[in-house]
Amino acid sequence: MSIWNRALLLLALGTLPVMGQETVLDPASSVKIDLPENSPLALISTNMGDSRASNRGGTIVLDLHMALTLRNSGARRVRGVTLLITAQEFAPGGKGSVARPCIDVPSGEQFTVPVDIRLVRPVQQAGGPLVRVQLDGVLFDDLSFFGPNRLNSQRAMTFWETEAQRDRAYFKHVLQARGDKGLGEEMLQSIARQAERPQLNVALSRNGRATGSIVPQGVAAGEHVAQFAFLKLPTAPVQPVEGWAEIAGNEARSPQIEIVNQSGKPVRYVEIGWMVKDKEGHEYLAGSVPGSNSAMLLPAGQHSRLLPDTTLKFSRTGKPVEIQGMTGFVSQVEFADGKVWVPSREDLKSSALLRIMAPSPEEQRLADIYSKRGLAALVAELNRY
Amino acid sequence: MKTHPSEADLALFAGGEAGRLSRFFVNRHVRECRECMDQVNQFELLRLELREFEPPPHDWNRLAAEMRANIHVGLEAGECVRLAAAEQRGWSPKLAVALASLLLLVGASFLLKSPAPNVAVEQKAGAVLESTGSGLELRHGNSSLTLLNHDGVAADQTVSAQGEIRARYVDGGAVTINNVYLE
Repeated sequence: MSIWNRALLLLALGTLPVMGQETVLDPASSVKIDLPENSPLALISTNMGDSRASNRGGTIVLDLHMALTLRNSGARRVRGVTLLITAQEFAPGGKGSVARPCIDVPSGEQFTVPVDIRLVRPVQQAGGPLVRVQLDGVLFDDLSFFGPNRLNSQRAMTFWETEAQRDRAYFKHVLQARGDKGLGEEMLQSIARQAERPQLNVALSRNGRATGSIVPQGVAAGEHVAQFAFLKLPTAPVQPVEGWAEIAGNEARSPQIEIVNQSGKPVRYVEIGWMVKDKEGHEYLAGSVPGSNSAMLLPAGQHSRLLPDTTLKFSRTGKPVEIQGMTGFVSQVEFADGKVWVPSREDLKSSALLRIMAPSPEEQRLADIYSKRGLAALVAELNRY
Repeated sequence: MKTHPSEADLALFAGGEAGRLSRFFVNRHVRECRECMDQVNQFELLRLELREFEPPPHDWNRLAAEMRANIHVGLEAGECVRLAAAEQRGWSPKLAVALASLLLLVGASFLLKSPAPNVAVEQKAGAVLESTGSGLELRHGNSSLTLLNHDGVAADQTVSAQGEIRARYVDGGAVTINNVYLE
């Protein structure tokens, strides 16, 4: 073999391995778990399960399936916890959270939080742990809170706990008034509602059209501004006044709703539930529209409006859902003193909301206990509170 | 327009590339023709999918380092052969050509190194947050962050127009709520 051929052969053999190479990385070193020093929760163990991390053709693929075991090292019972998940340098600063609401963990007891994440990113941005897990907040049984609250998790967990108290009280009342049989019937109805509740898939983007829109570029003239109809709940401290969104096919852009505070107290946060109706007349709970931003303080009798710069695209089983009508209702209110309002069971029952709205996390948990462990286990669970 | 527009006209219309007159007629037709509207939608979806597709980025630094290392190996191997052959034949013009070619290759690898075009594409494309059957996915350029439902269980999903999607499921008797935020 000539020198020329040998040199080329060596070059070719040396270059081949870098093409299409897959390197297995250590998933444990890709995650950093941070709890504050004065945290009422202590990290006992991290089970990485079948987590995998690999470098595939210049892209890092991280598949994390972790179970974090935490111990309540404080004195009060823990009713909820939220963990903040951040992916280092992930543009545009996307972040997530994993929450465990509706728990009841006494001092010294342990509980587990599952964290399942898939991260895909170019390898050139790498350096240090890819994913960081931090404590965002802990809610206690007296509704006091600990944590940096970067995600407003105090508010979210307080709403979940208030709904949980409402629904436990309701099912306990059913048990007392109608006995085991009545409670069993209520649970069967709840399970049926959950199974039948129509759901939508949503793609959400800012400033522009969402990916997968069915609106062709040439038919932009087909857009129209649609007004919200409102379902007024008599006990709501805040009422919607008017609202609209730009609609085009299965897209809704910049939904906005004006509200008025009819209570005697200043309000800090309002959320409007948002139902959409398709061409066939089916109604879905699309989501929610904020009636306020995080800096708002709405005095009694005053009006407020917020314009989110988001575009939402609705689909169901892979097919676009064209929007024909929209209905809004007040679903959550937080007062300036931290107290919250949620619709009562009577509010939900007297409207179509009980059928359309997702059940509270607690109702979902109680229905799961009933379906998997039976009526006796459910009664025992209700009697714990 | 009594007949259906051609497939090519529908494709151009979906891509916003039809002429003004053609756009007017096709637009008028598809508003009343479900079949053509469906086809336009399919073209539009396909176009969006193609727009989102990007080849995986290459680690040019690493490729260049590998190539440099291989060239060193090649040079050393060539040197061994040259020393043995030099005693018999002296200086080889073929070796000089081979080495010059390799140096040219190294130069080209440095020129190809810049990742700037990828960055520009990433900045142009906006982030999209989407609920899928398996979880909540936030995509931006060729990066993505997905919070998965544990063991693939079905989840209730709700969206806030403020820029977040929430997925809730019951597993092992406890409720887990995943949230992903679009900032």
